[in-house]
Amino acid sequence: MHNVLLSLRNSRTRLVLASMVLSTLLTAAILAMVYVTANRTIASETRSVVSAELTGLSDEYERRGVIGLMNAIERRLPTAADRDALYLLTGRQGTKLAGNLVRWPDGVVAGSGWVELQLRKGDTDEYVPISAASIRLPGGERLLVGRDALARQQFDRILLRSVALALFTAFALSLLTGWLLTRLVFSRLKDFADTADNIVSGDLSLRMPLRGTGDEFDQVASTLNNMLDRIEDLISNLRTTSNSIAHDLRSPLSRLRQRVEALSEPGKTDDEREVDMARATGEIDHVLRVLTQLTEISRAEAGLGREQFEPVNLRQLVEDVVELYEPVASDQGIQLDVIGAAEPIQGHRPLLSQALSNLLENAMRYAPHGSTITIGIREDGPFSLLSVRDRGPGVPEADLARLQMPFVTLDPARTQRNAGLGLALVAAISHMHGGAFVARNCQPGLETTLKLARSL
Amino acid sequence: MSRRLLIVEDDEDTRDFIAKGFSEEGYVIEVASDGREGLYHATDGGFDAVVLDRMLPGLDGLSLIKSMRAAGVKTPVLMLTAMSAVDERVKGLRAGADDYLVKPFSFQELHARIEALLRRPQESEETPSLTCRDLEMDLLTRKVTRSGREITLTPREFQILEFFLRRKNRVVSRTMLLEGVWDYHFDPNTNVVDVHISKLRRQLDEDGADPMIETVRGAGYMVSDA
Repeated sequence: MHNVLLSLRNSRTRLVLASMVLSTLLTAAILAMVYVTANRTIASETRSVVSAELTGLSDEYERRGVIGLMNAIERRLPTAADRDALYLLTGRQGTKLAGNLVRWPDGVVAGSGWVELQLRKGDTDEYVPISAASIRLPGGERLLVGRDALARQQFDRILLRSVALALFTAFALSLLTGWLLTRLVFSRLKDFADTADNIVSGDLSLRMPLRGTGDEFDQVASTLNNMLDRIEDLISNLRTTSNSIAHDLRSPLSRLRQRVEALSEPGKTDDEREVDMARATGEIDHVLRVLTQLTEISRAEAGLGREQFEPVNLRQLVEDVVELYEPVASDQGIQLDVIGAAEPIQGHRPLLSQALSNLLENAMRYAPHGSTITIGIREDGPFSLLSVRDRGPGVPEADLARLQMPFVTLDPARTQRNAGLGLALVAAISHMHGGAFVARNCQPGLETTLKLARSL
Repeated sequence: MSRRLLIVEDDEDTRDFIAKGFSEEGYVIEVASDGREGLYHATDGGFDAVVLDRMLPGLDGLSLIKSMRAAGVKTPVLMLTAMSAVDERVKGLRAGADDYLVKPFSFQELHARIEALLRRPQESEETPSLTCRDLEMDLLTRKVTRSGREITLTPREFQILEFFLRRKNRVVSRTMLLEGVWDYHFDPNTNVVDVHISKLRRQLDEDGADPMIETVRGAGYMVSDA
């Protein structure tokens, strides 16, 4: 049991880890997408604003010439700082005509599209990142419009930090939920394992705990409990049976001992000794018979011999057995009647013959002289029924259910040849055929029925 | 010529008990105490019959018999088994044994069965008629006469009588009859077989005639010539 717990623990760890890795990866992917998309949107926004300004300003140039353009730039400057906007218009010789930049930045060719620059801000040593675009105007002047990218980079950094935080939170959360979930599962399993351990150490009356929630764990627990009920039943039957066996074999064995002792008594004639011998042999035969029947019963209960199943015509089987018993019956003034028929079933022919012969012998033991024993064959739902009915005194209702228990005989003078195993064997054979053994009083008489499943 | 019998049995007491019994009956005995040794002797040939234990060290009885039959050895085999369950008995017969006997058994029963196995080849199924003293049995017309008087038998009675006549002068046990005539491999509690025999006897024996079927105390029945 310890090993099971250990491997459960291992599998719990694996489960938590797997769910953690999976959910973290998923969150990371989503956040990366958010980050990239946000970044792109802001960049393209900046660009479209800048190119709109460039277009607007070059329109102004076309309409009003360089002076008009210079005026337009000057108008925009007061608000430029708020918008992080940068402007520069230079003349044909590169002299600054208007704008808030000191001079044309090195390495920038007008009209070459987007550029990212590091420019010194004012007279300070502080460099700021700039995104800018420029055009060359028809009169040879150059115009540059840009945006201070510092704010954007700061936003970028904040975004990145939030993404990392979100990722960490997701990771921690998945760790927590994984642990909680598996702890829930594990605690139920541990209940089961503990109960099983206690059962193993001998307390067969214990059952798996139910929480009354009707969930899957409760369902498994109640299935296990059914199994435990059945096992406890079987074990208590086994105890009763072994007690009965011990009791039942003790009597013939002690009689045997007496016979053997009697053999060595002096002064016996050969004839007397022969009688003692015959009696001793009889006791041994009885013991052997009991053992044989017990073997048959346990084999049939275990379902051994099912591989020998073949199609059996019950009517034919009944007629064969009846033919064997007919002379004995007619000696006792009993008539045997066979009625009904059924479709062939899959069955163990020799054992079915034996079961029927046990039922028939049982009926003949109680049937009054001049009466009839009826052997009926019929179908009832998924079962084929073989019943034997006598017109004897029947059995007290309270004893009906006990009939099929081993070593139960209602015969007050239990004869040597009747150890009370015949009907137990019949019951075992019916179980082997997926059926049951049923006995009921018919006033008058007892009807014993062998129920056989038509298809297993 | 004396008959040769192979006994494959691991239990020394049982082996000696069987060997001693058959020696006294004039058989030549070979013994083997495990499955492999048994198979070696059995395939070596020259035996008229084999007494084989079901449970053996080395190679169990069922496997031994299968190997033996696979090697084409047709020597009749009687299987001894401590497993008395009906389906175990059937299994033994299906594996190729010609007969089986459940332990513990009386030597008389074993002897009767071995004798029956040995007689098989001589009394072929094609024999048109069987006789014993003044009794005649025509297997084709299914007519039975005793001293010329015709006797009407039921099909089952005919079968029982045929079973006896094919094992003339040999003891036939109740179990042998149940197995051979009815094909039942269980032991009924009542005296069913005896009642069938006494019914048959009433048919066969006219007033004052010598009884055709003798009772052999503690063993069964016998039909004999003398």
